[in-house]
Amino acid sequence: MIRETKYLLSWPVVFALIAAAPASLSAQERDSIPSDVRVGILYQPAFRPGIAMPAVSAPEGLEELADSVRTIILRDFDYSDRLQPLERGADMPQQGPVNYALWDELGAVWLLIGVIEGSADAPILRLSLHDVVFKLVQDVRAFDLRPLAHPDGRMAIHRAADQVMEWATNSPGIAATRIAYVGPGRGGSEIFTVDSDGFGARPITNDSSIALSPAWAPSGDRLAFMSYRRSDPAILELDLAHGTSRVLVDLPGMDMTPTYSPDGSSLAFGAYVDGRTEIYVYDLLRGCCPERVTFARFANSLSPTFAPDSRRIAFNSDRLGQLHIFVSSIGDSSPELLTPYIYDRSVHNAAPDWSPQGDRIVFHGWVANVPQLFTVAPNGRGLRQLTQVGRNEDPSWAIDGRHVVFHSTRAGTAGLWVLDVVTGRVRKLVGGFDVRLPDWSGRIDSPSRSGERSSDSVNDNNQ
Amino acid sequence: MSTWKNSFVQLGSFALILVVIGCGGGAPEPQPEPEPEPQMTEPTVDEEAERARMEEERRRREEEERRRMEAARERVMTVLAERVHFDFDKSEIRPDAEEVLQRKVTVLREYPGIELRIAGHCDERGSNEYNLALGQRRAEAVKRYLVSYGLSAGRFTTISYGEERPLDRGQNEDAWAMNRRGEFTLTDQGRLGGM
Repeated sequence: MIRETKYLLSWPVVFALIAAAPASLSAQERDSIPSDVRVGILYQPAFRPGIAMPAVSAPEGLEELADSVRTIILRDFDYSDRLQPLERGADMPQQGPVNYALWDELGAVWLLIGVIEGSADAPILRLSLHDVVFKLVQDVRAFDLRPLAHPDGRMAIHRAADQVMEWATNSPGIAATRIAYVGPGRGGSEIFTVDSDGFGARPITNDSSIALSPAWAPSGDRLAFMSYRRSDPAILELDLAHGTSRVLVDLPGMDMTPTYSPDGSSLAFGAYVDGRTEIYVYDLLRGCCPERVTFARFANSLSPTFAPDSRRIAFNSDRLGQLHIFVSSIGDSSPELLTPYIYDRSVHNAAPDWSPQGDRIVFHGWVANVPQLFTVAPNGRGLRQLTQVGRNEDPSWAIDGRHVVFHSTRAGTAGLWVLDVVTGRVRKLVGGFDVRLPDWSGRIDSPSRSGERSSDSVNDNNQ
Repeated sequence: MSTWKNSFVQLGSFALILVVIGCGGGAPEPQPEPEPEPQMTEPTVDEEAERARMEEERRRREEEERRRMEAARERVMTVLAERVHFDFDKSEIRPDAEEVLQRKVTVLREYPGIELRIAGHCDERGSNEYNLALGQRRAEAVKRYLVSYGLSAGRFTTISYGEERPLDRGQNEDAWAMNRRGEFTLTDQGRLGGM
């Protein structure tokens, strides 16, 4: 409700944008959306409570780690678009009781004090979050860190930042997440991952083939993707802890566009049937029984995405002669059209992704033959255009249901970008024309002990 | 019994007559070719030259045959490799593509052992994932066309590469038109493979 009110407030901005555009353009440009859709980035400098973090104190030898911890955590707050990190206060004294009045004067609503203890091999970060307004300690916790060079080093710090986010805003952070995407490779394309803050981009497949459409398992330790590694394209699953991949589904003909259900029990994907593509659901718990869930002869159905309840899907289909997004309950073969049908126009709506909160579906649709991002409610209401600059395609939600990663050619440089749909703020995640089809993970938990044990044993064998 | 004896005598005289006719052919009896000497002695120079000439002749004929087959193979390969192109976001066979496919139909009837893989490709404009489905439809449309001329469906396999394998990386109408295509590769060469 609050959000809606905010959008209404910005109507004058929208009106100004439309009025400024030449009349001929505004009629033609929107050939895939009806005329009553709201156009424009609705930039709202929403209130972001200030958070200050003095320099993190550390024993000798861990000063460098302490610096990195502060930099990473403050950047995470900035990228959350919910908290406003304050640069001031880095050199404020931390000895003795907290001077709340002073921090209040500096504009801080929150004060985060960090102390590093322990050894270089097993450092511990003790964080205490103070509510400056109410002059009290909100929460305190110790986090196990790793040396920065450790594969989980940065992620451990992101997890601490997310915990503070949750204390301060009562909503989950997105720092301890990764984005999987398709990037260039020797045989065509490989799957890559990058941390949510743009660090650590690297290929995670090395197949010298075509790899497409990565999709995170909800547990964050596995990825499904489409691969041409075999002569018949199939869905492979990559175990990230061990770096091994196996065939998950290979029906006769092409298998494509995999997606896990949020409860982790099934995988939906597109597959070849009788000269077209239809959607199947595969039972991951039993490891069998692909079952067809769309039935449109002479048409394609693909790119499924699950609702949070794991019982409904949105998907892409050309069954009406235009490319549209549909919503359907699994087991009910009469899907509902979600995007507006426009008679006699070339409509190209594709790449739907259902938000983890369930309230919006993001997709890209063509405006004057250029893809732009839109969101719409699962009942087809409240269609909103999110982007206007350059090509913008293949969006994927973060777990906060507020940030979206997508491919864009904005600003003259192509790459993956992150958009905060509330404020309209964008930031570049990874550069490159050939990086595409991003999928945002859920929370990346610390590697399970069993995973660590077996990876250690692999190392032992190599020695 | 006597009838049998009679006919036996007649048969005998008939055989005699045949022998007489056979020998007295009128024309002067040609000297029979000398029996080739048993291979006891070394072959003469003449004979060796003759053999070489025959060998040369055989080789020449083989070469000619090979060249003829090569030309036929070349022709078949050219016809089969010829691409077909599609309109934007469409998988219907265009008239110009139909001409190309008709030539293939002729060749494929002539060489029933040949099997083809048909790959559908798209330009870069549609969504990456939808283009995979569109490329599949294009490959299937081509296959359906060929099968509609009586060719066995089992001779064709299809695959889609979506927009992953462009011929021209340009971002203009010409490049896009070039990239919206069906491509053909031989998975079984049939008779052509024996050469």
